[in-house]
Amino acid sequence: MDLRWSFRNLRRHPLRTVLSIAGIAVASAMLCDMIMLSGGLETSFARLMLLRGYQIRVTPQGTLPLDSEATMPGITMLARAIAADPDVVAVAPVVATSLYGSPTPHSALLTLFGYGIDPANQGLYQLESGADLLPGDSLGVLLGAPAARLMGAAVGDTIALVSQLDPQVAGAAAERRLVVRGMVRWLYDHEGQPSVGTIVPVMQALGGIRQADRASVLMVKARDGADVPAVVARLRGAHPGVEVSGVDDLVRHFRERMVYFRQLALILGTLSLGIATLLIGTLLAITVNERLPEIATLRALGVSRRSVIRDVLIEGAALTMAGGVIGVVLGLGTARVLDRILTSFPGLPAAFSFFVPRPGALAAGLAATLTAGVLAGLYPAWLAARAPIAATLRAEAT
Amino acid sequence: MTLIAGRDLKKTYHLAEQEVAALRGVTLTIAPGEYVAIAGPSGCGKSTLLQLLGGIDTPTSGSVELDGTRIDTLGDRALTELRLRKIGFVFQRFHLLPVLSASENVELPMAEAGMPARVRRARAQELLEYVGLGARARHRATQLSGGEMQRVAIARALANRPSLILADEPTGELDAATGAEILALFRRLNAEGTTLVVVTHDDRLAAEAGRVVRMLDGRIVA
Repeated sequence: MDLRWSFRNLRRHPLRTVLSIAGIAVASAMLCDMIMLSGGLETSFARLMLLRGYQIRVTPQGTLPLDSEATMPGITMLARAIAADPDVVAVAPVVATSLYGSPTPHSALLTLFGYGIDPANQGLYQLESGADLLPGDSLGVLLGAPAARLMGAAVGDTIALVSQLDPQVAGAAAERRLVVRGMVRWLYDHEGQPSVGTIVPVMQALGGIRQADRASVLMVKARDGADVPAVVARLRGAHPGVEVSGVDDLVRHFRERMVYFRQLALILGTLSLGIATLLIGTLLAITVNERLPEIATLRALGVSRRSVIRDVLIEGAALTMAGGVIGVVLGLGTARVLDRILTSFPGLPAAFSFFVPRPGALAAGLAATLTAGVLAGLYPAWLAARAPIAATLRAEAT
Repeated sequence: MTLIAGRDLKKTYHLAEQEVAALRGVTLTIAPGEYVAIAGPSGCGKSTLLQLLGGIDTPTSGSVELDGTRIDTLGDRALTELRLRKIGFVFQRFHLLPVLSASENVELPMAEAGMPARVRRARAQELLEYVGLGARARHRATQLSGGEMQRVAIARALANRPSLILADEPTGELDAATGAEILALFRRLNAEGTTLVVVTHDDRLAAEAGRVVRMLDGRIVA
């Protein structure tokens, strides 16, 4: 039979067809979201790690970057030694500490998060307005939008950063008055995190003896085309007292931590595929059952079993394809909403995404839905093809 | 010369735990160009006989030959091909595909036979004109009256130039005037050489046939 005629069967019950497509679209959207969730976390994490091109992180032994308050000693020597590797082009030390800020000399102290950075080699922020710190600028500070909002500060204002508060003397052991040079977006901050940044020595000084020549993490950039795993292995061998991780290692750690998200995605994805299969199977079974006398007539006229099977399968495939494509669009829309909700969880970098659309994965999801649709049509198609012609026509006549 | 022959045909149905003998040893031979009416009361086995002759059911015992070929022993694929090429069916309830136009319904067996689209479109138009529906070719089946639908069904039965047309109560769903149009069409078909076997309990339709086979209780009685 002509293929176009097979498609027209879908027009018999337009409302039923539309509702079926809508049902398949919802199931397909869910599958699409789960596919984006299952691989999206890793993709997004890896993308985030490589935002500024630093492929390697050096952290205190047994920790992950900014995972704890632990710091590494002798950071100047360590950075110099790492920079000596022929494949390393930049080493960016980061000191992370908690401190307090005050917009005016007598105002209440606000809790802040401080980064000590080397403006010449940094992988932590992107400048949004004002000017960047210059190397050796011990009087300047960079603010992220939440910190600026909290302190009511703008570019050019002077703020005070204090640390090592001593409750007994009601004072701080360290204090610096700094001029806001620029506004930045801290790449690894979670939503609303009030972070400020100074050059490393200023932040170390604010940290006092605890931070002297120490850093929380060294971000290492290998030259383009370098064999990063080999560089990681070399640095590991040369510096056994610290943790050297490539982005792949960090992604693996991250994957282990987020395994429940993958499991959830797998279960919900399988469920949505199952729902789509049942929906298509049920619809086709009902349709075939209604059309048995007509199918028996076609068989009597010489239409082969193969043609009957093909028609039912095409019907299932057409429904699935329509629902699947709408589902992908719907899934992309719902993923954005869900992403906004999930990334607002405390402690997650705001630049992080749970749902990352990957064309290959979405195409695979669509193919899986289409396969499910075809498989769902097999039983109704078999029923249609095996229907006894004479008995069906007799039943119709009585 | 014989076009189709059923010999000592018996057919038993198993309904629940009961055996019902629909045919109790029927022998019928039809020559090419004949117009045969199989008449009798409801349940006498006439539709069953037609289904066995048309190869859409198999006899419990006995044999059916079409053009010298035993068809009761053929497998589904061969039988389907034979029905497609050599037999045309007309049913009481037309069973046109409602989503297709009159022309597409007629084209359907030709498409199944692998005829090119342009050829089958021209033949469908020719057949629809033959049954008086040339102007209705593009109309959907659902836009046609009962009589028109049955005429489209007849055109569909003729699509692959079968050697035999089998019709089961073709006027059963039609009023007297529309039924008369179908009778006239059958008369014309037969006059042009088509072999027709029509099952009916309509005496008027039976009277049109060149030979009337009367059945009662699974047997031919006259």
